[in-house]
Amino acid sequence: MSLSVRPNDEPALDPAALAEDVDLALEVRREILLLDARLERMTHHELLGVGRRATAEEARAAYLERVKRYHPDRHAGKRLGTFRARLDRITRRLTEAREVLSNPERRAEYERNTATPDDVVRIEVRRLEDELRAEERRSRLGRTNPLLARTTRVAELVKRGKDELAAGKPDRAANDFATALALDPRHVEARVLGEEARRRAASFRAESAWTEGLAAEASGRDGLALERFRQVLEGNPSHPRAALAATRAALRLGRVGEARELAQAAVRASPRTAAAHAALGEALAAAGEKGDAKKALERALEIDPRLDDAKVLLRKLRWSLFG
Amino acid sequence: MTTDHEPVIGIDLGTTNSVVAAVVNGSPRVIPNRGGQLLTPSIVAVAKNGKQLVGQLARRQAITNPQNTIHAAKRLIGRRWGSREVEDARKVLPYELVAGPGGHDVRVVLDGNPISVPEVSAMVLAELKADAEAFFGRVISRAVITVPAYFNDGQRQATRDAGRLAGLDVLRIVNEPTSAALAYGFGRGLEEKVVVFDLGGGTFDVSILDVSKSVFDVVAVGGDTYLGGEDFDRRVIDALVFGFARDHDGLDLRQDRMAMQRIRDAAERAKCELSTVPTAAVHLPFIAGGTAGHPALHLEAQLTREQLEDMTRDLVDRCIQVTAKTLKEAGLRPQQIGEVLLVGGQTRMPRVQQAVRELFGREPSRGVHPEEVVALGAAIQAQALTEPEASAAEVLLLDVTPRDLGIMVAGGFFQTVIPRNTTVPASQTHVFTTSQDYQPTVRISVLQGESELAAENELLGEFILEGLRSARRGEVEIEVAFDISADGIVGVSARDVHTGRQQSITVTATSGLTEQEIQQILAEGASQAPAPADESGARRRAALEAALEEIASLEPAVALALQRSRFGTDALDRAHRLTKQAREALASGDGQRIEAEARDVDRTLQLFRSLASGGGVA
Repeated sequence: MSLSVRPNDEPALDPAALAEDVDLALEVRREILLLDARLERMTHHELLGVGRRATAEEARAAYLERVKRYHPDRHAGKRLGTFRARLDRITRRLTEAREVLSNPERRAEYERNTATPDDVVRIEVRRLEDELRAEERRSRLGRTNPLLARTTRVAELVKRGKDELAAGKPDRAANDFATALALDPRHVEARVLGEEARRRAASFRAESAWTEGLAAEASGRDGLALERFRQVLEGNPSHPRAALAATRAALRLGRVGEARELAQAAVRASPRTAAAHAALGEALAAAGEKGDAKKALERALEIDPRLDDAKVLLRKLRWSLFG
Repeated sequence: MTTDHEPVIGIDLGTTNSVVAAVVNGSPRVIPNRGGQLLTPSIVAVAKNGKQLVGQLARRQAITNPQNTIHAAKRLIGRRWGSREVEDARKVLPYELVAGPGGHDVRVVLDGNPISVPEVSAMVLAELKADAEAFFGRVISRAVITVPAYFNDGQRQATRDAGRLAGLDVLRIVNEPTSAALAYGFGRGLEEKVVVFDLGGGTFDVSILDVSKSVFDVVAVGGDTYLGGEDFDRRVIDALVFGFARDHDGLDLRQDRMAMQRIRDAAERAKCELSTVPTAAVHLPFIAGGTAGHPALHLEAQLTREQLEDMTRDLVDRCIQVTAKTLKEAGLRPQQIGEVLLVGGQTRMPRVQQAVRELFGREPSRGVHPEEVVALGAAIQAQALTEPEASAAEVLLLDVTPRDLGIMVAGGFFQTVIPRNTTVPASQTHVFTTSQDYQPTVRISVLQGESELAAENELLGEFILEGLRSARRGEVEIEVAFDISADGIVGVSARDVHTGRQQSITVTATSGLTEQEIQQILAEGASQAPAPADESGARRRAALEAALEEIASLEPAVALALQRSRFGTDALDRAHRLTKQAREALASGDGQRIEAEARDVDRTLQLFRSLASGGGVA
């Protein structure tokens, strides 16, 4: 058996050791000295003369070949001098190499610790390729198997919903979660996220409706403004400014009954908000119910004395009561 | 190359019996002892006349002299005083145990003197050595001795010491199952996985080997050093004793050492008989009473194979559990095993064979003699270790360490450094750090075992590394190097990485003999050893005396047995005549006359023993 000793790596041999008077042939002495000198620097693979991908069985076979040659017991009865210790060292190292390479856990750890930068890159690339392949395999499987198709579809919908939620598109997210929940009614994540998405979608819609409503009001399109303000209140019934704005828009349009309903709903939704009471006051005043209007306005000013519109209207009402 | 052809021997030092073997003309063979037997009982005694007896002679007088007859010393070797094993042994052994001078090891009281267990084993080894010397007609100084694979470091050390005390250079301590596999596979060119199921007198071992032609590579070992044939005997003894107590108003025979020795013999015989026949009878006449006011009582019992199997079911189950666990550790399924070897006398029991067959789904090999195979393997290894190129087939044994080896770390936990089933010889270093700020010393406790808690493992030895560099905890690094030799014996050294200060031990301190004690015993032995010729004369005398004593003690039982048989009392008269002649010969001191009488007396004794323990006329 020849060991893979590269010539340029050959350490200088101690001539005295080589000339030691022992019962070993010169060639054997040289071989032992060379191996002993390189023992510390050799990897387990090099020592056993196997490739990095060698199986545990191959490592064992290589070990048996070598240990038969170097084990001190195989040289029993000979005069060995310093070579006994050398053979012993070699045997222990061979055994260690075998123990590590034939134990999957220890081998993985050893290979991680001894990997060169090139190896690290190669291992990382292989790991990523493996992951990619695994992903593809999963989706292919998902398409072909009906049971898996359903699960895969649900997972896809939930994933897309999450992405949409993060991208500020709660409308679409809510839709996807609802679809996912229809496919798998016990999908807890889809249910929880779906509620969240709907809540966010509503407040999102409310916000844009509010802006649009204000714009419409400013440009005198009271019909459109009322519609938008109604939308805001649909999403958030306790939006007092929307309630007030909607009431006024309705009054301007001459729809007094509607204005009154809107204002009453606003008060019910947020009884501690001055604007709601003010809106009710305006609506009631327009409906000619002056006493109730006065009470509503007083209540509004009690909560917030700075409501100038309410003050003016209340003063007017007081005068008209006397008149 | 040495040109020296002094024979080397392999010794199976068993719990119950020991065997010596050697390679003769290229093939291993068992060497008979001077009595012509292949098995020598591992029994040592001091007879009532003060003579030291070993083997069959010691066994013969065991009934009349139980306190001074040491058997099963292997169960105590290398054990610590106070350990569970020793406490258990004290309850069942008829002889007395005391603590050694250091309080750690066990001493056996023999003829009033406490002696160490390795010395007892050394007497058996010396007897086997002398048998081999008689066989070869030359001096023998080198041997391989086997131990159970599951023996720990202390037990191996103590066995090695016993060899030295017997005047032997112990070439190697080899595991018994490995040795058996070697004897089985020798010259067969096997290429398969072999399981050795070794249920001996006192220990159970299971080893799994990957054999490829001449290399015997042990993959995994398991076992129980306190499970063996003697435990089976004890179940039978208990059944007999309790059965007797039930029939005789709770009379407890355990108080009577002589009666117990007779029951022990009868129980073992009944157990062995049940391996071949479905029922065995036990007749022990005059087992109790017979003194003034107390009628003589006899123990009469019938034992069936089913009863034996019932009372030992859990023992067989334990063997099978250990075997299954060891297979799992080797990463093998029962179907991957190419051969199952049964070793040890207890594997003759049909229930044991059946359990093995059920586990592996195959017939165990019948190609080996369970009691001789271990010694044969040891002889092959002895030959390979002295003249490797002369062996008919080159062999190489690669054995493993049976237990996890490590040290105690902070919190009383056990940190493994060399895991079990690692091929030996092996070395491993591990770097530990200090656990307290500015600690000046560190205590290294070396342990062997499988528990995570240090206290539950076997303490092999301790030493203290002093003069650590003064630094905060975790900053001082200590490199601990472990070494397990091919014998499975442990050496440990510790080094402060920064200062280079080093301490080392060969782990012997906690039990067994110190080097000084060994030297002292060897020196005493050299000055006391009588000339060999005298020794054999004295030995014959002692043997004859012991035999005569035993005959006298057995007489009442024999007389009763003969009265009931159709043989009449002629035999008894003849025995009286013979013993009278023998006593005269002894008194004359004539060596040749003694030897002539010894043979007849021996025959009479065999007959008496057989009659007294309930057998027929031999």
